Amino acid sequence: MIEIRNVYKTYKTPDGPVRALIDVSNFVKRGEVVVILGPSGSGKSTLLRCLNHLEAIDQGAILIDGIVLDDSKTNINKVREEVGMVFQQFNLFPHKTALENITLAQRVVRRRSQKEAERIARELLEKVGIPEKANAYPAQLSGGQQQRVAIARALAMQPKIMLFDEPTSALDPEMIGEVLEVMKTLAQEGMTMIVVTHEMGFAREVADRILFMDGGRIVEEAPPQQFFRAPQQERTRLFLSQIL
Amino acid sequence: MDFKLSILIEVFPLLLQGAWVTLYLTLISISIGLVIGLILGVMRVSENVALRVFSLCYVEFFRGTPLLMQLVVIYYALPSLHPRLNLPAVAAGITGMSLNSGAYIAEIFRAGIQSISKGQMEAARSLGMTHLQAMWYVILPQAFRVSLPPLTNEFVALLKDSSLVSTLAVSELLRKGREIVAWKVNVFSPYAGVALLYLAMTLPMTKLARYLERRVSEGRV
Repeated sequence: MIEIRNVYKTYKTPDGPVRALIDVSNFVKRGEVVVILGPSGSGKSTLLRCLNHLEAIDQGAILIDGIVLDDSKTNINKVREEVGMVFQQFNLFPHKTALENITLAQRVVRRRSQKEAERIARELLEKVGIPEKANAYPAQLSGGQQQRVAIARALAMQPKIMLFDEPTSALDPEMIGEVLEVMKTLAQEGMTMIVVTHEMGFAREVADRILFMDGGRIVEEAPPQQFFRAPQQERTRLFLSQIL
Repeated sequence: MDFKLSILIEVFPLLLQGAWVTLYLTLISISIGLVIGLILGVMRVSENVALRVFSLCYVEFFRGTPLLMQLVVIYYALPSLHPRLNLPAVAAGITGMSLNSGAYIAEIFRAGIQSISKGQMEAARSLGMTHLQAMWYVILPQAFRVSLPPLTNEFVALLKDSSLVSTLAVSELLRKGREIVAWKVNVFSPYAGVALLYLAMTLPMTKLARYLERRVSEGRV
């Protein structure tokens, strides 16, 4: 479903180039839930953002469903329709209600009728547990509610893959649970998910596989049981001892 | 000082005619300027280098040269290139004012667009929208709110600058005043009326700009 082949990515910063991804390769199967862990600056968010081409890669290749992302012949908008993304800062459209946030891309990109788009939007608001907030503006919602609307907005495109970029990092502790709950449900329904997070409980419980990144490389890769009980790499053990 | 209230009252209806010309010159020009400015502002943040450079050159040219020069070139110099470019004075005035305000409005929209957080564009693109769709449905509605106060100020500036069109023999407010000065052989009374009428048009707009500014900063537009 997602194939990452020897990807390199370097950022130019005022202090000189920063190597964000170094020879990263991986394969994510359909229906798999992959959690990426790692210290900040390890390249995990960069990797995620490369998967829907919010960042271009320097070398290597990323294939989504067999389609090469960094190919001038690829219509990146078509690929993105199939890849939903949830951001740390929610990024809801502040001038639109929750319902409008969810219907906009359906109408503009999927060309659905207003009625059809609204029906789907209301179903999804139901699914994420806030049907009563359809007409609220983002500023009137709590962080947890905003993030759930953002998830519904991405799901409305009926993507094949969902990317989560630290979806709970900007939330007050008491709201983290409600968002993770929605993500857990999605995982159980068989959605292919890649999640960058610091929520170890979620990783342990929901992930099929954990990737541990450090310094732009995938340092270790294992099922959660093995990853948390018997990490192979010194770097992983150090990381786990610091956060657990 | 030769101010006489009786003369001011007598010529006031004529000055009103001039004020009306000033107002419609400004309204038409700002409307065209808004369209030009919107297109140039969006080009300025485009992914295409050629569009960005074109927009930049346009803006720098029209902001870097005086409006009076632009008006004179359009009215007096263009007809020598081709007889079809021989515009009537009012049309030449509107053309110059529109092209000029387009440059200033482009800068206002550019600043407005760039004030919207990058995450908005990313969220829209991640849903499969094209750059232009994201601009139109997500970025511009938000940028426009931010741009409202400076746009109101630009309207005031343009209204005052429309006095330059008097050099093309268009009977707008200033020109009307000058004609009456010659006719009545009285300087202060007509010009007092001219000033009053300019203020009557600009003060409410300045007040509106301040009100909008407050609303925008409170996030309530």
